[in-house]
Amino acid sequence: MRDWQPFLWLPLWVWLFVFPTLLALFCFWQGPKAAVILSPVWRVLDRVYKVAGALAAGFMVLILMLIIGQMIARWSSLTFPGSTEYAGYAMAATSFFALAYTLTQGGHIRVSVLLNLNEHTKFWLDAAAMFVAAVTATYFARYAIKTNIVSEMLNDRTQGQDFVPEWLLTFFAMFANAPSKWAEMWAQTGSEWVYTPVWLPQLPMSIGTVLLAIAIWDYLTRLLALRESQIHGDVLE
Amino acid sequence: MTELYATAIFLLVLFALLGGSVWIGLALMGVAWVGMELFTSRPAGDAMITTIWTGASSWTLTALPLFIWMGEILYRTRLSQDMFRGLAPWMRFLPGGLLHTNIAGCTIFAAVSGSSAATLNMVGKMSIPELRKRGYPEYMIIGTLAGAATLGLMIPPSLTLIVYGVTINESITKLFMAGVFPGLVLAGLFMLYIAAWHFVRKDQRPEPEPAMPLGKRLAESRFLLPLFGLVFVVIGSMYLGYATATEAAAVGVVGALALSAMQGSLDWATFKDSLMGATKTSAMIAFILMGAAFLSLSMGFTGLPRALAELIESYQLSPVALIAVLTVFYLILGMFMDGLSSVVLTMAIVEPMIRAAGIDVIWFGIFLVVVIETAQVTPPIGFNLFVLQGMTRHEIGYIAKTAIPMVGLMLLMVVILVIWPELATWLPDNIRQGPGG
Repeated sequence: MRDWQPFLWLPLWVWLFVFPTLLALFCFWQGPKAAVILSPVWRVLDRVYKVAGALAAGFMVLILMLIIGQMIARWSSLTFPGSTEYAGYAMAATSFFALAYTLTQGGHIRVSVLLNLNEHTKFWLDAAAMFVAAVTATYFARYAIKTNIVSEMLNDRTQGQDFVPEWLLTFFAMFANAPSKWAEMWAQTGSEWVYTPVWLPQLPMSIGTVLLAIAIWDYLTRLLALRESQIHGDVLE
Repeated sequence: MTELYATAIFLLVLFALLGGSVWIGLALMGVAWVGMELFTSRPAGDAMITTIWTGASSWTLTALPLFIWMGEILYRTRLSQDMFRGLAPWMRFLPGGLLHTNIAGCTIFAAVSGSSAATLNMVGKMSIPELRKRGYPEYMIIGTLAGAATLGLMIPPSLTLIVYGVTINESITKLFMAGVFPGLVLAGLFMLYIAAWHFVRKDQRPEPEPAMPLGKRLAESRFLLPLFGLVFVVIGSMYLGYATATEAAAVGVVGALALSAMQGSLDWATFKDSLMGATKTSAMIAFILMGAAFLSLSMGFTGLPRALAELIESYQLSPVALIAVLTVFYLILGMFMDGLSSVVLTMAIVEPMIRAAGIDVIWFGIFLVVVIETAQVTPPIGFNLFVLQGMTRHEIGYIAKTAIPMVGLMLLMVVILVIWPELATWLPDNIRQGPGG
């Protein structure tokens, strides 16, 4: 447990793992009562997952545009520098943004041989599996954010030929800074294009993995409160 | 000795997480984390994200969502009806009659779709009721469909081959080309089986179809021609080197949208459904690949792949014997897992093995697809069986029984591939090098 610096006087892992577990236990203990308390939260979260899913779909369309653009550029003997990198970033964005949405729609696959044995063990096995999944996903998200921050600190730049405008960087960097600094940040922003810093395309990874972790804890509480899995998917599509 | 304990714990965790129905992507990550903690002092979390980020943002992977999207668009058109109406008049002369529409339909749809479940749905939706109406025996309708739908994974585009290619870092275009002839041969085997049924079980033949004049036949199949055009553009552009796999996929998406608009079935709702469906499927596969990328990093530290490769070498196992062993292994694995997961789960171990044995990795990809296809139609876990169960309301057991002859034919296909490896390797060796590279 090195590497888990304290946050608000408590080690980070208490915040990430212990508190959500306590919430899940509370849901199991209170059952339908917890469902009443939490259902407004569930409604909001469901909307958040949907929005992320739509965003993911948007990035998929972007992949298509980028590749068509690249082909047109080639046919007309122009160059489209960095097109493969941009498409790769869009690929990562579509995958990560869609993780939570896919989960709630029952799109992720699992080995369900033991799950389908009988109704009684199904509940307990499902709860245990979701707990393990939630812990793993939280770990995933925590290191995704750490990597993202480290990329920013080291000012890691792309290996390819892709550029982004400076104002785009400032726009996203705004959210990591206090509003009092915003005016100064914009004042320093030029109109040049710079080599893409890796932290920018890594943002969807941080956001997507955090949403996935939230979604799994969320659906674990729903399972425990309502005593029935709330992930209903069309098994095959 | 401690090494042995650590390996035992690693494998135990692997089985516990996968068997305990944790989502495959996360299960692989969990196992990989345990492996990292047991076998190396490297910081597991940072190594994990670096590996996953590199894999998830790779350009090669972009072919995946686009091919899925293309299939999703076509899936939502009226292609199913048109395909049956267009194919039926041409199949009526063959011994075995309209049963061949199952095979031909699956072959054609496989050339625009990368998954066997989608192929099955698409073809079966129309051919099952139509063939029943004409009095073909139920076991032939369902059996041939279950078998032929697996062509979806073999004939390019194929999601399994993309995943395989990304996992072992081989050219996806080459793998796609390698699948063409074996796919056609397998389709041929299925058709021979239908013809054999026609001659052996004369009592089960239904009334022959009424003749149809040539003009009408052409008119009925007018919707098939654009589809053929799309297939030729997508596969041809890759073969001639005009386009990379990803670019061919982009052309495929645009072509599919155009085809769907031409048919009048493209509206905002179908566009949105196809896009969201593709996003979901693509994320599902990308998630498994993320877990697999981390697992193969961790697997490298465990020394398991090297030990197994050395074991194979010390036994002096011939390639044929190795293939036989792997066939049995994948068939057993396929009883519990779907095809994609079994590929990503095993490649970290199997790749050094086959490279050590001197087996061509492109050829191996095709072999893998045939074996995995076979597992798709054997119980207890066979995706095709589940889809067919949903469509026909038959018992899984009954459907599995009707598919037994197809399983036999697919195993025969493995033997054919071993005897004539050129079937898979000739076309990829002769791709023209284009500007796309």
